[in-house]
Amino acid sequence: MAAVNSIYGLFPGPDAAEQGMSALRAAGIAPEKIIIMSSEPFDRYHFTEADRKTAMPWLAAFGGLVGGICGFLLARYTQLAYPITVGNMPPVSPWPTAIVTYEMTMFGAVMTTIITLLITARLARRRPALYDPEISNGMVLIGVIDPSDAARADLDNRLRAAGAAQVKVTNLASR
Amino acid sequence: MAAKTPEQITDDLLRPLSGVSARYLTALAFLAGVIVAAFCAFGWQIYAGIGVAGIRRPVFWGFYITNFVFWIGLSHAGTLISAILRLANATWRRPVTRCAEVITVFALSIGATFPIIHLGKPWLAFWMIPYPSQRGIWPNVRSPLVWDFFAISTYLVSSVTFLLLPMLPDMALIRDRATGLRKKIYSVAALGWRGTSKQWHRLESAMQIMAVAVIPVAVSVHSIVSWDFAMAPVPMWHSTIFAPYFVAGAIFSGIAALIIAMALLRKFLHLEAYLLREHFENLGKLLLVMSLLWFYFVFAERLTVWYGNETPEMPVFWATLTGSYSPLFWIMVFCNFLLPFPILAIKKLRTITGTVIASSGVVIGMWLERFLIIVPSLSNKYLPYSFGSYRPTWVEITITAGTFAAMAVLYMLFAKTVPIISIWELKAAEHLAADRPPAWERVAQEGAD
Amino acid sequence: MVHQWGMVIDLDRCTGCEACVVACHAENNISTVGEDQAARGRAIHWIRVERYFEGEFPDVKTKFMPVLCQQCDAAPCEPVCPTFASYHTIEGLNGQVYNRCIGTRYCANACPYNVRFFNFYNPAWDKPLNLQLNPDVSVREVGVMEKCTFCVQRIKASEVQAAAEKRDVRDGEIQPACVQSCPTKAMVFGDLSDPHSEVSRLAHSNRATKLLGELGTLPKVTYLQRDSWHGGEDS
Repeated sequence: MAAVNSIYGLFPGPDAAEQGMSALRAAGIAPEKIIIMSSEPFDRYHFTEADRKTAMPWLAAFGGLVGGICGFLLARYTQLAYPITVGNMPPVSPWPTAIVTYEMTMFGAVMTTIITLLITARLARRRPALYDPEISNGMVLIGVIDPSDAARADLDNRLRAAGAAQVKVTNLASR
Repeated sequence: MAAKTPEQITDDLLRPLSGVSARYLTALAFLAGVIVAAFCAFGWQIYAGIGVAGIRRPVFWGFYITNFVFWIGLSHAGTLISAILRLANATWRRPVTRCAEVITVFALSIGATFPIIHLGKPWLAFWMIPYPSQRGIWPNVRSPLVWDFFAISTYLVSSVTFLLLPMLPDMALIRDRATGLRKKIYSVAALGWRGTSKQWHRLESAMQIMAVAVIPVAVSVHSIVSWDFAMAPVPMWHSTIFAPYFVAGAIFSGIAALIIAMALLRKFLHLEAYLLREHFENLGKLLLVMSLLWFYFVFAERLTVWYGNETPEMPVFWATLTGSYSPLFWIMVFCNFLLPFPILAIKKLRTITGTVIASSGVVIGMWLERFLIIVPSLSNKYLPYSFGSYRPTWVEITITAGTFAAMAVLYMLFAKTVPIISIWELKAAEHLAADRPPAWERVAQEGAD
Repeated sequence: MVHQWGMVIDLDRCTGCEACVVACHAENNISTVGEDQAARGRAIHWIRVERYFEGEFPDVKTKFMPVLCQQCDAAPCEPVCPTFASYHTIEGLNGQVYNRCIGTRYCANACPYNVRFFNFYNPAWDKPLNLQLNPDVSVREVGVMEKCTFCVQRIKASEVQAAAEKRDVRDGEIQPACVQSCPTKAMVFGDLSDPHSEVSRLAHSNRATKLLGELGTLPKVTYLQRDSWHGGEDS
């Protein structure tokens, strides 16, 4: 997400963060505009519910399939390109071809997982994005991206009422 | 010892990254010297010819291939602990995973250098890579060495990924506390990790997939390494048991290496509150199981050979059991089974010190096992006129020592730049097992060892 | 018709004189490695005469067996080479391509006959032996495997000559150095695919055995011996 405008609260722990999340949902903010940041996954909490669905395993399986096909073609066509008889074995021997196909399948799955992670988690991007180093001290950031100007004050109050230790605002000038 | 707050955890685990002691630098300098000696030995080998090594006809593979199999075997530590325990949701694995994953990456990298070191013409090692060459020829897919290339490359990529992905949040943690050049370096290392909820979910999905993927890769890697031997009609090599035998042996040596690494880290980085007796006990039990499994495989293999009484195999069999290789063989049995078994089976002896003693024995024993698989069989192939024995030279011994030094140096450097215990995973454990007190609190109850 | 080169060695004629070994060294540019290296097991003899003693005094029998590359049809050394340096030619030989060899030495381990040799150092010939090098055969460098080629340079030379003269290669025309030098004519070389060649005829003799034949390597060297080895074991 690019850093545009935002207003967020820093909550001292996951339980407080739950309150903050409830407050924002009660205010009617759409889930895709809510941003949550923390130094731990907090999987067992409700506020991290969104964005869990991912097609990553399917993509990895597909990547494995592509890798396997590449491995098969590599094993098969390199041996046919310059066919040499060795040890009374056919130029395209099934068992070694299977081994190379298998290894390339796993390689494809792993590479696809890495690339999918980099893309979907928006890692290694050049554009600066919203971040607050307080997260490293254990604070949980719950906020709203691009709030309307009218709603700002209201959101400020709601976040403080829910238990935010600090409420901060960011805009284009400050990153 | 009082229970640790998350801030204390972060401080404790980041403390090794700040500053080096004189003891550390001395050790590093000594080990670096050994590595330089190993490089010189290798350079001498290229210059003077590979004849400066001890290999000969008929024992064309000796120390180098022993080391190759040994280090690749050691690299199975991370896979077992990280991947299998991660999939089994065993929370005790959390302080241990990164130590293990680091062993895997470094041991694999070291092991992967040996197919180059042992070549008669190492400058042509790249011919094993399938690339469209101007000679128009491709590598021989029927050769187990080419399978090695594919398997080890895949495993290396997988294990590096397995190590680096969960490192991202910790890199971000350090980035936030660092200044200047350090901040820039760790910013690059963290890949812009922000800790958004979506990023956490994706990371966890990726780790799940990796955990599932890396286990069959690890099994296949050491099976393929074992087939370097099993595919040749050499007495006591051409055995169908080799693939599972090697995989079991690899996991065995990997766990032992992990226990040793953990004990050293615990002592030198003052991690007594994090690497508890419980961890060593659990790993010790796994080591016991693997020791029994190893003994089972060795017994099954040798029973079959003895019972079969085949003429080409019996000289190899007796050479290891009672002949010229028997001292090494019985040291191996002692180190791999007779020593670890009582230590690990008796709860009173299964202390941190006990498991480290057992593990040291296992590391020595497993190195000897690789040696005893390779050399006696080659010494006693079919035609008695060509039997011959092997003795290593200073070149091979120096390079072997250099690899152990390299492993230590790489590990030491890593422990000073990256927290060796995964900080976020440790903190996250508390929020997973809300009904159990966190690990660091139990220290107060059980007492440190 | 594609030739399939093979050899027959009559062990009942072999006297163990090792003229074949010397001739092979001379023909194929094989250096002597020196006393020190030979003691360390690095001696290179593409053909060697194995000598076994059987029985107790005074009933001792000496058996000589020249062992060279068997040019196996199902050679275990071939599939294991990662760079195809060891491969099977159309004419049934096991070819060793020095330029492809990177020296993994896997083929040498896989060979049950131990007939593959490795250049641990660059070979050297003391003067004036360097004048005796055969220009038809390459000199191998350090790190490369080598072995008996059935004197493929002589085979090729005869085939080229025969083609130029628009005829087939005659039986007995090609003689590898070892065959040529054997004083008792214990070794015969020829085309196994030609049923009328002497080597085919002898290969079907009732004295014919194969060395380590039970391994399934399909060797192309047939050994003739009246008695099998002591105890009836072939290896």
